[in-house]
Parts: sequence; C-alpha cells; structure tokens
Amino acid sequence: MAKASSRPFFGGSVPPQARVTRLAEPERWDTPFSREMTEDEVNLVLSSALFAGVKPERFPARIPLRGVLKNDARIRDFLPGEIIVRQGDYGHSAFVILEGKIRIFLREPDGQKTGRREAVRVSAWGSFKRWLNRPTYPEEARRRGSGGTGPESRIFLQDIPGVLDPDWTVSMEAGELFGEIAALSRTPRTATVVAEGPARLLEIRWQGLRELRNYSPEWKAQIDQRYRQRSLLRHLQETPLFYNLDAASLQQVADATRFETVGEFDWYSGHNRVDGRAREHREHEVMIAREGDFPSGLLLVRSGFARVSRNYNQGERTGSYLGKGQSFGLPELVAGWRGGQPVALNHNLRALGYTDLLYIPAAVLEQHVLPRLPAAELDALVAGAVRGMGAGPGTWARPDEQNLIEFVVAGRFINGRAAMLIDLDRCTHCDDCVRACAATHDNNPRFIRHGPETTGIMVASACMHCVDPVCMIGCPTGAIQRGVSAGGEILINPDTCIGCGICAQSCPYGTIQMVLLRDEAGQPVLTEETGAPIRRATKCDLCADQPGGPACVNACPHDALVRADMREISTLADWLRR
Amino acid sequence: MKSFRSRRWTYLVGSLLAAAVLGVAWLLGRTALRPVAMYSGALLLALVTGLLLFNARKKLPFLPLLKASTWLQVHVYAGWLTVLVYGLHVGFRWPSGRLGLMLAGLFLFVSASGFVGLWLSRWLPPRLTRSGESLIFERIPLYRHRLQTEAREAVHLAATEANSTTLQDFYLRLLGPYLAGKPWFILALTGDDPKHHRVRAELAELRRYLDPREVAYADQLGDVIEAKRGLDYQLAGQSLLKLWLFVHIPLSYALFILSLVHAWLALRYAGRW
Repeated sequence: MAKASSRPFFGGSVPPQARVTRLAEPERWDTPFSREMTEDEVNLVLSSALFAGVKPERFPARIPLRGVLKNDARIRDFLPGEIIVRQGDYGHSAFVILEGKIRIFLREPDGQKTGRREAVRVSAWGSFKRWLNRPTYPEEARRRGSGGTGPESRIFLQDIPGVLDPDWTVSMEAGELFGEIAALSRTPRTATVVAEGPARLLEIRWQGLRELRNYSPEWKAQIDQRYRQRSLLRHLQETPLFYNLDAASLQQVADATRFETVGEFDWYSGHNRVDGRAREHREHEVMIAREGDFPSGLLLVRSGFARVSRNYNQGERTGSYLGKGQSFGLPELVAGWRGGQPVALNHNLRALGYTDLLYIPAAVLEQHVLPRLPAAELDALVAGAVRGMGAGPGTWARPDEQNLIEFVVAGRFINGRAAMLIDLDRCTHCDDCVRACAATHDNNPRFIRHGPETTGIMVASACMHCVDPVCMIGCPTGAIQRGVSAGGEILINPDTCIGCGICAQSCPYGTIQMVLLRDEAGQPVLTEETGAPIRRATKCDLCADQPGGPACVNACPHDALVRADMREISTLADWLRR
Repeated sequence: MKSFRSRRWTYLVGSLLAAAVLGVAWLLGRTALRPVAMYSGALLLALVTGLLLFNARKKLPFLPLLKASTWLQVHVYAGWLTVLVYGLHVGFRWPSGRLGLMLAGLFLFVSASGFVGLWLSRWLPPRLTRSGESLIFERIPLYRHRLQTEAREAVHLAATEANSTTLQDFYLRLLGPYLAGKPWFILALTGDDPKHHRVRAELAELRRYLDPREVAYADQLGDVIEAKRGLDYQLAGQSLLKLWLFVHIPLSYALFILSLVHAWLALRYAGRW
C-alpha cells in the first residue's frame, strides 16, 4: 500500500495530523476605519443633533450603533483651505459637519490649485525588489490589519481668497451631511469641498452609512431626500440640453421630472451562471419605449444601461446602448415640436438589467428648454443623439461591428471600463500574459485566459473595473473599493478582506477568485475556531502600482490583448480591423 | 491606431535600409582590405545577443522595458538582418572545420525554426479560432474526459431505453478508443484523421439498425465526435505553437555559447586575445 503523502494533493484537504497554521477567523471590524475613535468621541457624536433621533435598539446585536460609529467612522480635523474631497476622485465615505464651515465648489477649480496628481506607482527598482521577495506559494498569509493606519497626506487649496468666489461656491455649516452620493452610488465625487475655517467632521465609510440607512428611518429619509435632490440637479446641470437654462427654469424642469426605475436591481446575481443564449431568453429586458409609439417626454439615463434597438423581422437588431447621461427620444421630440405634429419613435429602448431614468414631459421641454436653444445648437444636439442611437433608419452597422454590439450588450460587457479583450486571430496561446500577471502578483495570476467569445474575439475572465461595480455592494468591510486615482480601478485590500466571498458571488462576470491563504510551507491556513481554510478574494488590479501599466498587455508579443473601455465600440472595431 | 500594415512597412523599409548600409560597408571594407570578417563577426555576436534578450525580457514582465510586441517586431526584423550578416561573415559559403560546421548547422536550425515559428504564429491562430471554442491547453484532457463521459451516458441510456446493444457495441469497438486517443498532430491539423472518418462513417451505417429513440442518441454521439475533432485540432495546433519554441530557444542558447567559443578561438588564433 502506498504511503500517504503529508502534503495534500488538492488544496483544502488537510490531513488531521499535519502541522498547520491557524489564525483567528477574519471578521468585519478587524480593521476599523480609524484607530483614533475613542469611547469619548463616540459619546460626543451620539450627543450631536444628527444622532439625537437615532434609536440604538433598532440596530441588530451584531451591528450595534456604537460599533458602527467606532469602527466605520472617524473624526477628522481640517485646517482652513484644506481640501476635504475633490471632484472626480472616487470616495467611499460621507461627511457630517460637527464644527466649522465648509465650501462646496459648483465649478471645479484649476487642477493645479487642488493638487491633483497621478496615481503613485512603484519605481522599476521597487518593482524588481518586490519580484525578488515574491512568496514561494501563491497568496501567502501576511500579518493582517496593517492597512489604513499610515499618516494621511493633506492637500490645501492655493490662493484661497481668489478661488472662493461666492458665485461659484456654496457654504455648509454644522449638522449638514455631504459626500453621500459618491459613497452610496460608487461614483466619482461630484464636487470639490474645502474647509473654510478650522472644521471638525465626522467621516463615515459607506458600510457604516449603509447600516445607518438600514436601521435608522430618520437617516434613511434624510439620505434619500438629499440623494434625490442633489443628484437630480447635478444630473440636469451636466446635461448639455440644459446648459442654457437659468436656475429658475432648471428648477422648474427638476420639479416636473419623474424618477423611473425599470428592471431588476439585482440583475447581476446568477448572471454568470447561465450560458449566453439561455441568458437572453431568461432575462426579459423590460421595454421602456417602443418603436412606432409617440414619445410623451424625454428619457435621460441616470444610472444603469439601456439597449437601443430596431425591429427586424421577428427580432430586434441592437443599434447601440445608452449609459449614464445619455438621452432617448430627443430627435423625435424636436422634429415634432418643429413640425407641429408628433413624430413616432425610430427605436425601441429596453432596460439592460436595471435602468434608472429621468422622465421629462414633452410639454416642459417645449415650454422651458427647446425655445431657449439656438437652432444650430439644437441641431448639433439632435445629430449627436441620432449618432448615439447607432445606425439610422434604413441603414445597418457593418456586420462585424453589429456582431460585436450584440455580443457586448447581451453579455452586459458594456459595464467594463478595462475589459480584457483577446484577438483570437492573433493569440498563439503562449500564456505570456498569464505568466506576466503571476510574476507581478505574488505568483497568483489574477485572471483566466478563457471566456465568452464572438467572431474572433474573447472577453477573458479578468476584472473589467466596471462603470457600476456591483461587486462592491455587499462587501462588509470595504475591502473592495475604487482606487482614489482618476483611473478608478477596483481594488481589493488584502488586509481587510475577510474572505466572505460576497464580491465573488456578486460579480456578474465571475472574475473574482476566492483563493486559499497559505503559510510559508504552502499549507492552507486554517481558522482557530472552526478549522476551515481561510480564503481571500483576488482579482485583477490593472497593475495599478506597476511602473509599466498592465503587465498582461505589455507581455503579449502578438498585440493580441487589450484592456478596453467597452463603451467605445467603434474604437474596439478599429482595434479588430488593424 | 497604427495598422499592422503600416507597422510592417516601417520595419521593412528600416530593415532594407540597414541591410543596404551593411552591404555597402562590407564591400567598401573588403575593397580597403579591412578585417571585415572580424567586424561582421562582432556584429553577428552582438545581434545574436540582442535577439536572445527578447527571451530575457519575457522573464521580467514587471519592468517597464517596452511592450513585448515591440520586442518581437525588432526580434523578427533583426533576425532577418542576422541572416544577412551571417552570410557576409562566412562569405556566403558553407564553412569548413567541425566548429564552423556545427555553428552553421545550429544557425540554420535556429533561423529556420524562427521563421517557421513566425509563420505558425500567424497562420495557426485564425484556424484555431475557426475550429471552435478557444480552449486552455492544460484543460484539454478534462474536456476529453467530459466527452467520454457524455458518450458513455448516451450509449447507456440508448441501451436501457431501446433494449438494444447496437450503440453499445459501436462504443466498445470504435467510439471508446477513438475518444480516448490522440491522433498525430499533422493528421489532426489537416483534418485527415482516418479514425475520425471511420468512426463517423460507421455511425452513419449503423442508423439502419436503430429505432427512433436510438437515433436521437446517435445524433448526440455525432455531435460528440465532431467536438472530439475540434478538441484534437486545438490540441495539435496549440502543441505545435508551443513545440517550436522548445526547439528554437534551447538551440538559440547553444548557438550563443558556441558563438562565444568561436569568437574566443578566432581572436586567440588571430593573436588579438
């Protein structure tokens, strides 16, 4: 009889007699938001007006209110002119003003004044040293809890009197909340905020904000109301159609605007567990507007995506898709307004999973918006909207481009900002990309060179750093988050990941891998309590800290691999036609 | 976005210019009775070293050393130039002496394997794409096992439902060994695998003995056989794409070492070492 090997053949099966490393099971509040939050500070926050109506008994025993404040919040002191948040940065926290005044910029100040800088990448020598010290086994256990404790850099606004123009800034005082839009919607900060004088703020990371919203009706009402108000006005302000409107007219448009939510909010659950065709049949995309119907108003996409298609025999041919900020129905509404009789829609609009829309009635547009726009500007907007619908009536996209659009939309890859596309007509399966990824990531490649294919192109199983990263929704510790750089990569902090696997289950594309944590001997590390192996979520980080950018792209000798923004279909088609 | 065609033209024109300069320099040097063999030998050694660095760059993906695709382009066109410089160095004659012959043979093999590899890496991928789903090489045995399982289950169900052993016999006699085996890669790539043709023909012939319930299973087996052919094609194609590197790279290192020995000997016997 063969002698049993002491080393397991398959990861996860450990002989009971083997010497294994055991660690305490990682938990949500292993790494609090700040180590400086004392009991006294928690008491101070609880005594403030904002928390006066919050009832601690509404919170479950495992997530007590004090625990949320102690672990998911921190108090920060800002000096005059110090930048609290910058427009365009990705944020994961909201702020409550405890003392002092702050200023919100309605118009972004000069980038130099706000000290914007590129993401920090290690030097070539640093990268080489890291490679020399790489672990023997993938994902070796390291000491936890080292993240987030370093000194924070402070950025001060230069030329404060010159920049703080009262016409372009809004003041906020103690007791007010801001930053919740970016924190809850996983979007970039919509405005730059500076401390006007010395200010003391409570910063709550989004996990804590979520708990407050869940268990405190007062906070929920406040957050939701602010979220809707600020988000709507900001959205309208950013829409070119409304650039010419004064504040009063814009407010009238906002008052008449209706919020519409179409489709399933949790479309992503189970998306990657059915094949493409079944998926198309299973998920009935809700029809928002039908070709041939007369439009009663303009639709603006607030978040999510929608498919634009035209009827083609028994099916529909996709022309394009709309994302945040894009509109539907403008050409028909303008033609109807100019011609004096309604014009039917040229396209269908369907919700792709979940679509959040703003509906602006035609009457409001005709009264407040269209008459104020110069004819040439309106023509340009209509032309842009027509281009956004894809091929016009009676014309079709090139076959290769059409296939690509159908594939990208059906697979929901439109969410990808840096999807890994492989040109299969050039890929020699040499796996240099996989080896490069492993060499730059602790011997553990962060993607699988396999995935859905269409004519000559494959979307590999690598994190796409989505426009709407649903993987972040359930993370209990905030370990998965957007990098603060303008690139906005989705990153996992290994020090705060507790291996719960929620992100991996949420990812609609199956690009997050749960891997076993190993000790220096290569054995799986087990929890002290249950003896179960400890896992960690890993995924592509787009080599955010590598000096040369994504190693996979740089390592491909045949130019077969690209990290592509899937919103740029024509660029993709050009890449394929090189 | 720069097209492959314009990139090809840029490198081609650059290489032709470099070749012309080298040719003229060699002619002038020879006319002026300069030691052109030593110069061309030094250049050749430098070129071979440079070509080898491409493999070193692959091992250091974390350093910002230009994209590997740029390296490959330089490697390919510098490879063509190296052949020209080698020709100039040996005077376009077959060398004499054991070391010279060994060097010439190695150089020939390395160059030929490089050109074959280049052709394969351009010719095979589109064909692999057209042969079906792109597969991970290491997972192909797993896919083969899945096909075997699917075929076994279909045969078992056919035998149970129709109370007939026709498909079972076919599986034991032909289909099972076919699914378990691997054809020679040339046969798989040319689509000329006789076992595949035989197993398909036999299945078609068997239909006259099948009842309607078995026919559905026979159709399923037909799909499995086609999937096996696609799998064989992937295996053969991907093996070939890996195999040529196993020839090219070790021989390149051997050529480099022998070139160093040759250079040392040449300098020593020329009294320059």
